[in-house]
Amino acid sequence: MKLAELIGTLRENLKTLRIVMIVYLAVLVVFDVFLSREDAHYIIDKIYAYWAIFGTIGCFVLIKFSKGIAHMFLSKNEDYYE
Amino acid sequence: MSSWLHPALFFFLGSLLLPFFQGKARKALLLLIPALAIIAVAMAEQGIYGQYRFLNVDGVFGRVDKLSLIFAWVFTIMAFLGALYSLHREESGHHIAGFLYVGSSLGAIFAGDYFTLFIFWEIMAFSSVFLIWYRRTKNALDAGFRYLLVHVFGGLLFFTGMMLTYYKTGSFAFNSIAPGNAGLAEYLILWGFALNAAVLPLHAWLPDAYPEATVEGAVFLCAFTTKTAVYVLARGFAGFEVLAIMGTAMTVFGVCYAVIENDIRRVLAYHIISQVGYMVAGIGIGTHLALNGAAAHAFAHILYKALLFMGAGAVLFMTGTAKLTQLGGLYRTMPLTMIFYIVGAVSIAGFPLFSGFVSKSMIVAAAHQEGRLWLMNFLNLAGIGTFLSVGLKVTYFAFFGKGEPVAAKEPPANMLWAMGITSLLCLVIGVYPDALYVLLPFASDYRPYNLHHLSEALQILSFTGLVFFLLLAKLSPEEKINLDVDYFYRKAVWHFLRFDDKVIAVFDNLWGELYRTLGLRALFKSADLSYGFDRQVIDGIVDGSAASTMDLGSTVRRLQTGRIQTYIALSLIIFFVVVLLFAVI
Repeated sequence: MKLAELIGTLRENLKTLRIVMIVYLAVLVVFDVFLSREDAHYIIDKIYAYWAIFGTIGCFVLIKFSKGIAHMFLSKNEDYYE
Repeated sequence: MSSWLHPALFFFLGSLLLPFFQGKARKALLLLIPALAIIAVAMAEQGIYGQYRFLNVDGVFGRVDKLSLIFAWVFTIMAFLGALYSLHREESGHHIAGFLYVGSSLGAIFAGDYFTLFIFWEIMAFSSVFLIWYRRTKNALDAGFRYLLVHVFGGLLFFTGMMLTYYKTGSFAFNSIAPGNAGLAEYLILWGFALNAAVLPLHAWLPDAYPEATVEGAVFLCAFTTKTAVYVLARGFAGFEVLAIMGTAMTVFGVCYAVIENDIRRVLAYHIISQVGYMVAGIGIGTHLALNGAAAHAFAHILYKALLFMGAGAVLFMTGTAKLTQLGGLYRTMPLTMIFYIVGAVSIAGFPLFSGFVSKSMIVAAAHQEGRLWLMNFLNLAGIGTFLSVGLKVTYFAFFGKGEPVAAKEPPANMLWAMGITSLLCLVIGVYPDALYVLLPFASDYRPYNLHHLSEALQILSFTGLVFFLLLAKLSPEEKINLDVDYFYRKAVWHFLRFDDKVIAVFDNLWGELYRTLGLRALFKSADLSYGFDRQVIDGIVDGSAASTMDLGSTVRRLQTGRIQTYIALSLIIFFVVVLLFAVI
């Protein structure tokens, strides 16, 4: 199957892939900086790359919070209710 | 007045016919019924149909307008895809349960009054539970009973509110309610509806029951109950602030659990809460854009969530498990399933060119337009969690992952076709959103493809991806389950039994011991006493009375000679005495 081979090739070239992804993220931020902010109503519309910052912090907080609360008391063995 | 054919009729009549067909004929019938229903929806004209009068109640079977039609469209399309996906299943009972469930959902969305709605509402609960029970495991049986109990409770809330409304207004009319006019009756109905929409804290039935359903049943379940509830909430309770707040809370709550769950279908079930949260929030915001967003999102969501459940179901069907800890490397053996799953994942995450991008964004934009930035930020936070859990986590750990690849192959052709067609629909809606927008209840000039929205969506999704790979080790799935509020009705029973075992039983034993040592001794003592009392006192009295009774008896015996003339003589004497007495008076 060609798809499997393609994925295999990508996995072997993780370093290149990483560089491509970092460049892509940088382009996204630059793109946002050049967007017009003329009809921006609210503060969040005016901050450059607001959603990039939001995405990074939000994802970090979500993982830490969810996993933290799971380990604190939510998480139980699978036969807990039996 | 033009005539109208209720699309639910096809499903109800079809479910009666199904047991008489076998093999290919049944497969054809399974696809024909939803296909005919789709045609009926396409031909429906707006209006009020099927008015009836029963027990002094004015009922309406067919309120056909833009809001009910958009739900009818997606329900019938989904029924077709679900039937295609479950074509290989042998038991006709499973198909019948599915069709009754779809039919009653259609009945509910076209119902024009509370009475008719309530009837279909209850059929939905009682038909859908079989899609869980057909799994035939003990867990499924138990979960099904809990599902029923919770829905009966929700039905009771609805019923009480409906009766109070009738008491107040003398009618079961179901129309839009102004937030200012809502009293106890309206709020009871609201929470009855909200239970079916899995609004916090009445949500736990959903992740409890859906992951226990059959592979095919879950595809049906994820579509109809919650979206029927979204429809009735949109119909009756637009602009209720409590829905805006609770809906937004649901979006974040759902993704938090989706991040920590291990079973793919549990991840997806929690994620339904999150997605329905968007719709509930849109209804709560209540502007035309927000309500359009809720309807559009319901439409798009039914398709991609069903696609995800199909993908997860295919994995479960072929490998025997849906636990991420036991999966990995499936991209080698189930590449098509993986592609379809990823289409569902990027649709739900709201990637440009896929359906979530054009539907979810309407609700977020409505929050932004109304200046509700807190809501907007939390809705976008849930968007991060969506891509993180359903998109990245499940895809990575099931289809890639570091572990040994699991032996498997692609599922049967009908499953692949169902997934393929659903994937295509997600793409079509994403690329050509007007196909969906033309069905929306309100006129709208919303354009999803603008540079600001593209930039916003790509930033959120891409930086979520970045953090995912940075914290990958933290996200490894664990062989655990997570507590939720169903704890209270699952463990509370257990605690009561334990309380019964430990406290009540101990008390019972203690009491028994006390009774044996003190009670019995006292009883013997009192028995002695009463024996003495009986012999000395009672017998004395009784013997005395016995003696006098014997005397009386011998006198009567002398009278009772047994000869008929004696009796006649006696009665004559009595007769004369009575006559003489009256004569004297």
